[in-house]
Amino acid sequence: MHTQTEQERELAELIVECLNLEDVSAEEIMPEAPLFGDGLGLDSIDALELALAITQKYAIQLKADDENMQQAFGTLRTLNAYIMERTT
Amino acid sequence: MKIKRHFPITDRKSDEIIAIYHGEKIEVGQFLTEAKALASRLPNNKYAFNLSTNRYEYLLGFCASIIAGQCTLMPPNRLDNTLKELAQQYPDSYTLGTSGFSYQEIENGTFRGKPGEFQNDDNPLIAADQLCAVAFTSGSTGKPSPNPKVWHTLRAGSFGNIALLLKNTGERLNIVATVPPQHMWGLETSILFPLLTNVTISDQTPFYPQNIAEAIRSLPTPRALVSSPVHLRALLKSGVSLPGLDHIFSATAPLSTEIARLLEKQFETRVFEVFGSTESGIIAGRYTTTETNWHLSELFELEVGKTGTLIRAEHLPGVIEIHDIIEKIDEHSFKWLGRHQDMVNIAGKRGSLIDLNRRLLAVPDVTDGVIFSPETESERLVAMVVAPNLKPADIVDALKPVVDPVFLPRPVYMVPALPRQETGKLASSAIRRMYEDILKKKRQQNETA
Repeated sequence: MHTQTEQERELAELIVECLNLEDVSAEEIMPEAPLFGDGLGLDSIDALELALAITQKYAIQLKADDENMQQAFGTLRTLNAYIMERTT
Repeated sequence: MKIKRHFPITDRKSDEIIAIYHGEKIEVGQFLTEAKALASRLPNNKYAFNLSTNRYEYLLGFCASIIAGQCTLMPPNRLDNTLKELAQQYPDSYTLGTSGFSYQEIENGTFRGKPGEFQNDDNPLIAADQLCAVAFTSGSTGKPSPNPKVWHTLRAGSFGNIALLLKNTGERLNIVATVPPQHMWGLETSILFPLLTNVTISDQTPFYPQNIAEAIRSLPTPRALVSSPVHLRALLKSGVSLPGLDHIFSATAPLSTEIARLLEKQFETRVFEVFGSTESGIIAGRYTTTETNWHLSELFELEVGKTGTLIRAEHLPGVIEIHDIIEKIDEHSFKWLGRHQDMVNIAGKRGSLIDLNRRLLAVPDVTDGVIFSPETESERLVAMVVAPNLKPADIVDALKPVVDPVFLPRPVYMVPALPRQETGKLASSAIRRMYEDILKKKRQQNETA
């Protein structure tokens, strides 16, 4: 499914705002496109900034479960699912 | 007649703990047996790309390569393009730790020994002049420059580092590092320390603050964190609580006194900052909150040069010039005044603006452009580009395969022309003025929108 859910849109807006992404609007972030490397092209500095913004907004700490930490939050969809699982 | 010197791969006793690997304590003796077994299984090439993301596996691979008479290449980043370029420069090479030779057999138990069953007398001796590692730095020429390290360089440098960093940490120390072992800062601390002194490393390379806290918790005390300013700032802002930490060691970029103070207060620890370069290794350190001057490690002599600083040491292959500008206080201490204009340092990686600009101008359909550092807290580079047929995303996509992600400009502003002088030169004051105009226009647009 290519369209964003309401929660995914909210998360996309957080990403665009906290990372100062000038060339992208929130609705342009495809839910299943990669956030890091390809796709949106975020890097490790962004990952830390984003983790902080998520902590501040959703009161949860991002955590990687294995050595390929960026895979766990590969897309807007998986990142949103991770957050939703941990917030009531 | 020159007598060839040899030194053992480790100076430690076989029952000391070298690492925590998947939660298990690994004794030095067990590690040696595994390293020797792995050495006998390695492909028969001169150079190894060790891409292991697990720190104990990197340590094993690093030592096994040395024991097998090989040399580990340390690429400056993990871009496919970089690895391909290096593989072309070093065709007699193989990859260790990922899709190449894998550690499956270690996990399946083929290499694993049992604690207590090893003899301490079979400690491999390595020739002092054996080439063990090549670290690469990016310079203005575009091609990564090799910095060869022989065993004597690594060993002698490490003893200097131990005297500089570990004099106040007691008889033993357990270390977690956020910096990968493929980076010199990671190598000198999390790979060479456990070989040469009583340090135990965590096999993790934690990234998020929560992961860092858990990795620290997984180690016995006393504990130290080896990290860099980008990570330390994130740690501070995250609000995560850390278990007891004896020291934080920071390197790769300057750490503000304010951040160091906050770290010491919040985590009840001491922050020791380290200064060095890929070419020279660590050369100096200081306690950021209480010392303005840097203490030079006894191994080195510094000389203030025209565009930087010259470093000399017995264990280095020649004189090294770094692009930092210092003021000598005496033979043992100095003040750091800044960096030479071309070099930028972002997230612990060093890059050349000259090289980045060359790559920008090589992008097809780019008529003109400049990448520069606006020197804001975000550390990111910005670009202003003349390319009527392209969008910012096109520029970034063209640079991605050849530029480390942290140097990709953001944002990229498309402009009608750059304020070049008649000579073609672009003055930094003119760049700054143009950039400020763009920001002003943006602010005005946002206000009227």
